Amino acid sequence: MRKLLEHFCGALCAVALFAIMALTFFDVGGRKLLSQSIPGSLELTELLMVVVIFAGLPLVSSRGEHVIFDSLDSVWPVWFVKMQRALVHVLCAGLMLTLAYLMWNTAGQFAANGDITAQLKIPKAPFIYSMALLCGITGLLHLALIAQPARTLQEGEGVAL
Amino acid sequence: MIESLLGFAAIFTLALLRVPLAFAMGIVGVAGIGLTRGWMPALASTAQVVHETGFAYTLSVIPLFILMGNFVARAGLAHELFAAAYAFIGHFRGGLAHATVAACAGFGAICGSSIATAATMSKVAYPSMKKMGYSDSLSTGVMAAGGTLGIMIPPSTIMVIYGIITETNIGKLFAAGVIPGILTALLMMAGIAVITARDPEHAPPGERTSWPNRWKALRGIWGVILLVIVVLGGIYGGIFTATEGAGFGAAGAFLFALARRRLTWAILYQVLVESARTTAMLFTLLIAATIFANFVNFTSMPGDLKDWITHLGLSPIMIISAMMLIYVVLGTVMEELTMVLLTIPLFFPIVTALGFDPVWFGVLIVMIVQIGLISPPVGMNLFVLNALLPGVGLGAIFRGCWPFVVVMIFVLGLLIAFPQLSLWLPSLMQ
Repeated sequence: MRKLLEHFCGALCAVALFAIMALTFFDVGGRKLLSQSIPGSLELTELLMVVVIFAGLPLVSSRGEHVIFDSLDSVWPVWFVKMQRALVHVLCAGLMLTLAYLMWNTAGQFAANGDITAQLKIPKAPFIYSMALLCGITGLLHLALIAQPARTLQEGEGVAL
Repeated sequence: MIESLLGFAAIFTLALLRVPLAFAMGIVGVAGIGLTRGWMPALASTAQVVHETGFAYTLSVIPLFILMGNFVARAGLAHELFAAAYAFIGHFRGGLAHATVAACAGFGAICGSSIATAATMSKVAYPSMKKMGYSDSLSTGVMAAGGTLGIMIPPSTIMVIYGIITETNIGKLFAAGVIPGILTALLMMAGIAVITARDPEHAPPGERTSWPNRWKALRGIWGVILLVIVVLGGIYGGIFTATEGAGFGAAGAFLFALARRRLTWAILYQVLVESARTTAMLFTLLIAATIFANFVNFTSMPGDLKDWITHLGLSPIMIISAMMLIYVVLGTVMEELTMVLLTIPLFFPIVTALGFDPVWFGVLIVMIVQIGLISPPVGMNLFVLNALLPGVGLGAIFRGCWPFVVVMIFVLGLLIAFPQLSLWLPSLMQ
């Protein structure tokens, strides 16, 4: 189940990111060299960014790649670290599920207003609904992770600087 | 004032209890706004921040530069860069160490990550240095310190993040990093010269390369040069915005890796997903930091702090120096991205109120992050090298990086004393 989720989200964000790259390349290249741009490329990039970020979110949580201070782990007793891990997952799950609920409502408002993008007239609501769904999935994932043993991260994995 | 201080205390407590920093900042930010202004506005503003950050065209600069760096790392260009640098300066004492720094600087011009630069160089430079009898502490110190050039020499992930949270022009920040980056590289080489003079047998010179072979080695890096000219030249020349340049660079790096037959479907997928994960991680931090900054800005803290500091009657330069001192100390124990995201909402208003240029302060912040990344006990570059080179102990790496920490603190002093080092190039841009 978790593998399936990782493949699904991985494929989603890989395709979206590649598309952003290709879109920017051809749009800018076309505009500078042939004075012809891809209509609506800005909007498409915005929509695809949502996919990259929010489909990437379950992957980051699943692999435990969020920035944390773990320097104190060796100080605490083992039972404490275990309990701490479980509580942290519950807290993260609560936050993500709340966010999912919030974004679901926001999406509802967008759908009711019939908000569409300016140039290509793509409705925005489905994308905000998927934001909400992916946040919800991330929340549930944190709950599922309580039962799993902690994954040790390789040094440098998921580091951005 | 009190509300914000409680907020900071809450974040630190949560973070020490292992709550991911993004979640800690988000929870405290929402709770803070909720308690001071009401829960409905808190939830509404949170939804708005999430939505606006998600749908932001200009922010696509982040994944695109990350992607460019990851493609370049996979394209195997580091070998050619190192070979070219060695061909020119390898015959000096400590030639391999000098070449490593030069290659890091070159790699930094196409990669915006310090960790990636150090990690890539460890595969290329360490085996040669080991073979020539370089001590482990010198070789790892050079790679750790050289790696940090990746974030000063543009493109740079931390500059992009600073530019976004402070609304400073990213193109100008990139231009501002060029001279400090090159200066740091040169002074690191001077540092190597001093170290190797004291211990010459651990850093033998290489053979001198003939000029025809030097030109041949340069030909191996035409791709890197082309990418740098198109992407950075385009951004400086005002042909591209930073976002457009990033897209062009990522596509260029992709084509380059493709042409060198370094890409299989599996590797392509891995590079894309890795970049997307880093992006998602950064965006959760950005969103949370924005929510928290909104809370801090609702309180009187930034104003109070500004008043308090101006009433101290210190000269502006002393205030900046004090800030930098705080940062250097914090950087030894804190993760650097966290440090920047937490402190910028407080420090940045003071800096602009004192009349300093945000671009200049951005360069100082990058230098601080560079120092933090290699200053023990908590320095990510050191940990990464330790993980990648199982034969080398953390003790040797710690010993090796100290001289470079000193060199970089000296550069920081120069950058504070002579703002034109950072600001001259951006002043030439329209």
